[in-house]
Amino acid sequence: MDLVAQLVVNTLQIGSVYVLFALGLTLIFGVMQIVNFAHGEFFALAALVVASLMPALSASLGLPLWADFLIALVAAIGAVIILGALTYWIGFERYLRDLVGSFILSVGLILFLQGVLVEIFTATPRPIEPIVPGTISILGGRITAQRLLVIGLAIAFTTMLYLLLQKTKLGKALRAVAQDREAAMLQGIRYRRISFYGWLIGVVMAGLAGALIAPLTVSQPAIGGDYLIKAFIIIIIGGLGSIPGAILGALLVAFIESVFGYYYDLTMATIVMFVIVMIFLLVRPQGLMGHVER
Amino acid sequence: MSSARWMDIVGATALGVLLLLAAFSQETYTLKVILWISLNILAAVALRFVMLTGELNIATAAFWGIGAYAAGILTAWYEIPFTLAILLGGLIPMVISVAFGYVTLRTKGPYFMLISFAFTEVVRLIYTQTEIIGGNSGMIGIYSPRWLDPYYSLLVVACTILLVGTMFWLERSAFGRLLKAIQNNDAVVESVGLDVQKIKIICLALASFAAGVGGALFAHANRVISPGDFSFLVAVYALAYVKIGGEKHVAGAIIGAIALTLLNQYVISFGHYEHLLFGGAIVVAMLILPNGLIGLIERLTEFYGARRSGGSSRPQEAIDG
Repeated sequence: MDLVAQLVVNTLQIGSVYVLFALGLTLIFGVMQIVNFAHGEFFALAALVVASLMPALSASLGLPLWADFLIALVAAIGAVIILGALTYWIGFERYLRDLVGSFILSVGLILFLQGVLVEIFTATPRPIEPIVPGTISILGGRITAQRLLVIGLAIAFTTMLYLLLQKTKLGKALRAVAQDREAAMLQGIRYRRISFYGWLIGVVMAGLAGALIAPLTVSQPAIGGDYLIKAFIIIIIGGLGSIPGAILGALLVAFIESVFGYYYDLTMATIVMFVIVMIFLLVRPQGLMGHVER
Repeated sequence: MSSARWMDIVGATALGVLLLLAAFSQETYTLKVILWISLNILAAVALRFVMLTGELNIATAAFWGIGAYAAGILTAWYEIPFTLAILLGGLIPMVISVAFGYVTLRTKGPYFMLISFAFTEVVRLIYTQTEIIGGNSGMIGIYSPRWLDPYYSLLVVACTILLVGTMFWLERSAFGRLLKAIQNNDAVVESVGLDVQKIKIICLALASFAAGVGGALFAHANRVISPGDFSFLVAVYALAYVKIGGEKHVAGAIIGAIALTLLNQYVISFGHYEHLLFGGAIVVAMLILPNGLIGLIERLTEFYGARRSGGSSRPQEAIDG
């Protein structure tokens, strides 16, 4: 069953990046009760930093490619954290729990940041050479080593987020705030500080997704748009604010995309996903994992 | 005079000035700007009408586009009379919006917002995939009758006034109070035996009719339409007009649409800095004008009112708030 194995491998590869992207979005929603429409811009920033640093680094330092990638990844996350902190302090801090206000602020940011990214990185697509060459075959499905590396890293990052949320004090505070803000504040949790951390972790997840996608695709400033709409479908299916829902939703969307992308094309896959969402809403309006009040 | 009364006057005056300019101006450029302002007002007021129930309906952009494509197909292919095409351009999205609302208005808040976003983008993808309506490059040759050309802006302003006026009247009626009650507490409305979802669907259908007519007028003004004209950004701009003008009163949507359309005419001359400047302006306006432009007018009238009566306006504010 080569085809089945191939589809599963493709699902994992597409899904791993979606998981990271959607996790950030759902975490920000859980903590701040806002939808970050500018999520794709943080994703694009990281992808562009990696794509433009990699060639420069390999030309100047002479280190192995994986070391270049590591340095570029750290730089990209640094850039995302700086942009995240700035946008939080200037804007989102004032729009905590304000869905409409934060929506328009984040869309204003999309327009603004798109302009800035085009200005800095130009609109030219930036491909980069593979970090690890070669192809590996798993149970009859073929995958480039490069993509396997991305899956591995995505699983590692997701696990790290999971451990952070489950095992650390900060994670407990984040979950408490997401469950019941007032009760959490009564326990002495500083809501504003925690929401800042939640926001930063959320945009860093978007940045990690972007840094991982850079070696697999050609990066350009508008790259985040497609991911945003799919991430929305993912969190509608999974339930807003639900971590396991985001993971399951991402894998489901990736599966639909790899099957329909294989037989038809990617646009068709997105349309089919939306139809499934509509049917899903008729049957189960609270989402896959949702027990959240709507 | 209460500040709401002042707002009525501000809104009516703004629309009146637009109508006069559209009727008597001879300059093509002025007429074009009036046309864009007028269409933007219509989009903003249609979006705001659903916001009365507390839902942010990004699908306003989708129904705007469906109206444009429907009316465009009717006049370009079937040569249906213009007036009928515009009317159907409102009715077709209205019918679709009822089906859409039936499925999606079971959810509310962020879920409805995300679903309406996804709907808008998916409808746009469907246009790009449908070769018969031109796919990615869109449709051409959507003409209004030739004798109408000099009066087209006037017609658009007149339609806008009619639809905005109707929505304003509905907002002030018992139906409008019902919508605001749903925004405040839908459980209470449900508890007295009213069908909240049905009321929301009616509200969505009315707004989608207005948006559809707007799209149909847009298609005949542009003569060329393509999927790119109907992305979620249509709703985002409409929301920007509402928020920057001030959402408390319909005059806010009108003032906001006028101000931002004029600003856009100005920034468009900066070429590729256009998005950067416009996005920046939205962000700045959001941060410094929490109650929008009409919030400024409100504060001004309260200030003068307080001076005339020789007292502070605080107690009145407390009652309003």
